[in-house]
Amino acid sequence: MVFNYYRTAAHKSLDPAAQFDSASGELIDNLYDKLIDYHYLKRPYELVPGLLTKMPTLSADQLTYTFELRQGVHFIDDPCFKDGKGREVVADDIVYMLKRHADAKINTQSYPAIFSGFVKGLDEFRVKTKELGAKMNYDEHDVEGIKKTGKYTVDVTLTKPNPLAIFPFASSTMAVYPREAVEKYGEGFARHPVGTGPFKMHKYDRQGVMILRRNEKYQGTYPTEGAPGDKEKGLLADAGKKIPFLDEVRIPLIEEDQPRVLEFRLGRIDWIGLDRETVAEMATRDEKGFHLNPEYADQFDMYSEATTSTEFWRINMRDELIGGNTPEKKALRQAIAYALDIPGYIMKMRNGRGVKLDTLVPTGFSGAQDRIGFEGYSTNLEMAKQKLVEAGYPEGKGLPPIAVEFRSPTSRIRQEYEYHRYQLDKVGIKLKGNFQTFTAWLRKTEAGNYQISAAGWSADYPDPENFYQLFYGPNKTPGPNNGLYVNEKYDALFDKMRFMKPSPERNGIIKEMAGILKDEVPVLVLQQPVVLGVYHKWVGNLKRNMMHNPPFRYLKVDPEVKKAQLPKLKR
Amino acid sequence: MLAYIARRLLYLIPTLFGVAVLVFVLFSVAGEDPVRILLGDHASPEAIALQQAKWGLDKPLLAQFGDFLVQIVTFDYGNSYASGEPLSKMFSDGAVVSLSLTLPPFLMSLCINILLAMLIAYYRNSWFDRFATAIAVMAMSVSYLVYIISLQYLLAFKLDLFPVTAAGATDWSFGSSHYYFVLPWLIMVLAAMGPDVRIYRTVFLDEIDADYVRTARAKGASERTVLFKHVLKNALIPIITYTVVAIPFLVLGAFLMERFFGLPGVGDLLIKSINNGDYPVLKGLTMYIAVGYSLFNLLSDILYAFVDPRVKLD
Repeated sequence: MVFNYYRTAAHKSLDPAAQFDSASGELIDNLYDKLIDYHYLKRPYELVPGLLTKMPTLSADQLTYTFELRQGVHFIDDPCFKDGKGREVVADDIVYMLKRHADAKINTQSYPAIFSGFVKGLDEFRVKTKELGAKMNYDEHDVEGIKKTGKYTVDVTLTKPNPLAIFPFASSTMAVYPREAVEKYGEGFARHPVGTGPFKMHKYDRQGVMILRRNEKYQGTYPTEGAPGDKEKGLLADAGKKIPFLDEVRIPLIEEDQPRVLEFRLGRIDWIGLDRETVAEMATRDEKGFHLNPEYADQFDMYSEATTSTEFWRINMRDELIGGNTPEKKALRQAIAYALDIPGYIMKMRNGRGVKLDTLVPTGFSGAQDRIGFEGYSTNLEMAKQKLVEAGYPEGKGLPPIAVEFRSPTSRIRQEYEYHRYQLDKVGIKLKGNFQTFTAWLRKTEAGNYQISAAGWSADYPDPENFYQLFYGPNKTPGPNNGLYVNEKYDALFDKMRFMKPSPERNGIIKEMAGILKDEVPVLVLQQPVVLGVYHKWVGNLKRNMMHNPPFRYLKVDPEVKKAQLPKLKR
Repeated sequence: MLAYIARRLLYLIPTLFGVAVLVFVLFSVAGEDPVRILLGDHASPEAIALQQAKWGLDKPLLAQFGDFLVQIVTFDYGNSYASGEPLSKMFSDGAVVSLSLTLPPFLMSLCINILLAMLIAYYRNSWFDRFATAIAVMAMSVSYLVYIISLQYLLAFKLDLFPVTAAGATDWSFGSSHYYFVLPWLIMVLAAMGPDVRIYRTVFLDEIDADYVRTARAKGASERTVLFKHVLKNALIPIITYTVVAIPFLVLGAFLMERFFGLPGVGDLLIKSINNGDYPVLKGLTMYIAVGYSLFNLLSDILYAFVDPRVKLD
């Protein structure tokens, strides 16, 4: 069984520790295994053991995780091993992976972003890698918080109790690999993956076609449980069976939309994500959701899935016109919030591919709007006008245009801006869009030289903390709070909530924080993007999982259906 | 002639130094910050400093320029920021694909369009000339993108005469995957026809009424001899200028073609490098083009001497 997929961007590196981009992560997820992973079918996203016998156990003082590896898991055969035979994965591999993940020479991206400060002694180890450079020998420098306790067990001690510290272990940047491969291939390890994943690299062509072949040694099985409705959709028909089902996955680089769609319609690509133009041609959204137009419904199947990210407009709280905490400034920001028409924006500018958010947290996460029962702003032009009066700008008189900074000058961004500009103009608020390159946008926003900045956040892990930290006072620039929002009550609630486990009590705190953000409006939450895709009827077990992408290990192709279906594809 | 060539080669040194200064100022001083492009927003100062050190961007600008000059002299531009791959390998792999894409249609276009232009010029002021000129003007007014999108849709998707993309190709050595290049070649030949025929026709019209042509005809030379022996030879001088300097750009490929047909050539690499702030690739390619352009300019001057005996190189 061959599965034909595609890439829209070339990856940066296949060295897990040296990458932090989605194109690399997508390949690494299929070539390597991690200690823990996300359940393929269950929602909300749930962590499950990867290379482990069970989920890591936490000590009574909430500080030490014990990781116990499954026995008998082997790396793929490779010349880096003695006799070319892949050896068994042991505790030393975890210790090595964790140390290398903290190596400042190698990991400039993911460690500071998602793991810094979590493990006792690891930041100090990182400083040593910086100081010693090439002379650094991992064996000569132990890390206080990382201890091998047996051939297959490792204890990791945290700097403080922190339920969030487990999430990075499910990231592709912490996939497990053998030391031998790093030592043999050096920088070439970035192009020569040696893992335990469901596939192994058969042909590496970064700009062309990548070919993955089934790893015969892989021991994983298909999930036996799923979310409600999965069984009815046939997603549990292969429960408990050995995976992967595919013999080969071919992944050419196809950057343009037209050729990708044409290849799909000819049956030469098995599954594609839909861009705005193709959605308009192939699908329609009604009150029940998206469905394929009749001419395509007998050819393909479709899915839609909310992403794990949020789009918002951040307000510079130090700006003289729109920032500040006086009642007038607050009223001006509230006027904007009431004047925006997010449902209209989603339907007209995004073909319905979005979910209106009432809080910062994407739906499907614990602490999201539906879990805490929170309602945000809805379009209310009368309220917007009243707030403008309170702000001292009746009907917008005397209010200078407010600048919105965008990180890209594409026509899509300009069109979307035009929609908001038109809406706000209805109550007398004038907008001025500044469209610039990414680094110019960064320079402006980080220097606090802006009024509103069009921004977004994609979850590093599925927890509300990851979103509310964007407005936490101590995280101000160069941290992610570059709107310089400060509210002592908010910060105190955040401190209380951040290390709590999901619970009704935690949800109560989150609701209070959402209320503060709604009242003071340091952010205008726009939407949670939704992705759509179509796949051929011969593709089985496909369920879009935003934390597990693309899930080649679970997919299958039915050759009989393909044979019958190919002549039915319309040109 | 050897002295002339040596002198011209020596001129290359200040020219290339000037190009190097310009390239360095454009990319390393005034350009986008590649570290921030890689790390995105909310990168910590520690991450920024580490990445800058990794790429040598923490050195003073003068030291960075010195490194760049050493790279030019040694032809070793290091590794790509985006992938960490050695540029020499990226260039050589990409150049094979780009040349496979651009060289055949370049040669085909040259032959077809010169002959077509000569024919149109021969029938100057006739309905055929007017019709052909009008078609050429229309053809050159159509965006290159329209040729690609419409012919890919029509010939590859609707009629299934060609593959839509090179998604099935796994071997890019010369001649191995020519099947995937046929439609791009066809599009490139068609797209080049309008502008090329217009230019060449003008060149031929300048020659076709010249005194020496009348003399040749008066001496009883056949039309074929007049056209191919006298007119063509004299018209070749501006055509050589036009075509020879285009040769170094062939290696750059045709980025739209490469993107739409999934061909991993240098053109697409160049665009991606601009988007990613991959300055080693940009600097390397720019210097390569500067050297290539200068050398092929020299070559075209030398060729003048062979085509036109009146030209003396001294």
